[in-house]
Amino acid sequence: MAITSIKILPVCVLLAALALSLVAGLSSRRYLRGGYGIEGRPMGHSGIGAAIASNWMSAASFLGIAGIFFVKGYFAFAYVLGWTGGYVLLLVLMGGQLRRFGKYTAPDFVEARFESSGARICSAAITILISLIYCVAQYKGIGLVFSWILGVDYTGALIFGTVVVISYLVIAGALGAKKNQQFHYLLVILSFVIPLMFVAKKLGYSWLVPQFSYGAALRDLPPETAQQYLFPWTFGTPYQWIALSVTLMVGTAGLPHVLSRFYTVSNNRDARWGVVWGLFFIGLLYWSAPAFAAFAKAWQARTGVELDPDAARAVADLIIVKASEWIGIPDFLVAVLAVGAILAAFSTITGLLVTGAGAFAYDIYFRLINPRASERQLVKVAKGVTLLMAILILLIAVNPPGLIAEITAVAFALAGNTLFPVFLLGIWWDRTNKHGVIAGMTVGIIVTFIPVLFGHLLPEIVRTLLPATSSALIGAPLVLLVIILVSLVTPPPSESVRRFLVENVHSP
Amino acid sequence: MAQPTPSATPEQSDLRVNFFRPRAGFMRREVSVIWLTLLAWALVSVGFPLSLGITADDPAASLSTGRWIFGMPWHYWFSGHFLIVWFIFICAMFNILIDWLTKSYRKRR
Repeated sequence: MAITSIKILPVCVLLAALALSLVAGLSSRRYLRGGYGIEGRPMGHSGIGAAIASNWMSAASFLGIAGIFFVKGYFAFAYVLGWTGGYVLLLVLMGGQLRRFGKYTAPDFVEARFESSGARICSAAITILISLIYCVAQYKGIGLVFSWILGVDYTGALIFGTVVVISYLVIAGALGAKKNQQFHYLLVILSFVIPLMFVAKKLGYSWLVPQFSYGAALRDLPPETAQQYLFPWTFGTPYQWIALSVTLMVGTAGLPHVLSRFYTVSNNRDARWGVVWGLFFIGLLYWSAPAFAAFAKAWQARTGVELDPDAARAVADLIIVKASEWIGIPDFLVAVLAVGAILAAFSTITGLLVTGAGAFAYDIYFRLINPRASERQLVKVAKGVTLLMAILILLIAVNPPGLIAEITAVAFALAGNTLFPVFLLGIWWDRTNKHGVIAGMTVGIIVTFIPVLFGHLLPEIVRTLLPATSSALIGAPLVLLVIILVSLVTPPPSESVRRFLVENVHSP
Repeated sequence: MAQPTPSATPEQSDLRVNFFRPRAGFMRREVSVIWLTLLAWALVSVGFPLSLGITADDPAASLSTGRWIFGMPWHYWFSGHFLIVWFIFICAMFNILIDWLTKSYRKRR
């Protein structure tokens, strides 16, 4: 790994930001005594919202959204729609009920509701798979940004980035630092919006609210570019748009680490209002991301730089950093932007690795391999699996299969095809039983991975109806149907579970 | 999770939970609010792209003759700005209605 042109400023900003995060985490740990923060510092609705947004904002949101806009123009709004509309589904269909059910993780809920270790193990395996796929996208973001900072090739940067992530995780764990979600949100959103304001100013557009002033940049695009960029169906059909956005919505409502946010507050009402604020805080990023892509396009139009589609895809996931460099905002702000991306990816990776490793240690190792394992042994297994997952993800991320947003969409498709139907029917139909959900999750896994692994072998019509990133429009209803049919022909769940649903989950 | 007693009333022995046939009382009202919110959600999530698919068939025509808001074609503004505002609005309305419903049923109990 030859370091050709290391950028000192971003390295300093990164070290400062990580140190600040550790200090903020250490100062907040005395408030967070409960395992899930339930006994933690009382937070207002906006504080809960910031925590939800902090938990949500990953490299996919920070780098991926602007990248997909740069490549696909208007079509990229399917991602924005999917990743915000999903919170509506989560809030109205499941949030309050899950909170009242009182189980903290997806496998915990599945076992308690369906009284089945088999269903629990199946949901744990899905949780691990989701974590792996989601992390591949985050690793790509880390590899790209470290490659830009260190001036090394992508693979070398990826290895370096992985070492930094694991080291940070170990140091934070050793010091007992918790993640200060509100502080993290503030760091990430400011590191995105402030450089964007400077980009707008540098190009001569109104800088105060660049989320609106990028309209003027769109008007400045040459007619041919404008037609491609602004016309809804240049890069996909209405079916593909709806399939993608619905997949991301049901995926959002089924993502284990999103669902678990409902338990980190003291009561149901706070959790519900926290979602409203969370959507607003997430919206701040999604109102801003298209502006970055539009300003990059406007700069290209002004300078006459034209990228062919392959070159545009190659640069897309780093477009916010590249565009800021091209346009010539101060180096410090470009560094802040790059570090913001690393922080967003770091936070998501550490959260997902811990979730995935916990699911393996407690739901698979303890249940299947060694039921007599002590707590200490389980912690050791979890640590080992964290390292193993980190290496496995690294190996996959060396050849990333798509843009960051596209890879992330596959994780959402898996959640939408498996956990979403299980949660939905588990809450809203008392007759749903373990046989139904095991069959449903199996079908969901098959529907998700067939287009991903064997897409090139499928007939054209299947490829059109079941794109790898958008399979849940058909997959989720299919899985719902499978769960209903199998549940109907097998014995109903126990009376105690059904009574619990009526008396505890569906009562005010 | 309590076991049913032999003297359970018909209401107590009714363990039905079904989104399409909700029990009378709190659940039925809650489901009505959910349907209303889902309708508002589907209107923009599915209805808008469908309507756009029907109307926007010629890029040049739609950009030159269409309406522009904040310097953007209206469909761009609608998707870029309005949709998120709409989602926040319907979530807030949902919460207000559920808060009211919860309060009124807790009082009765």
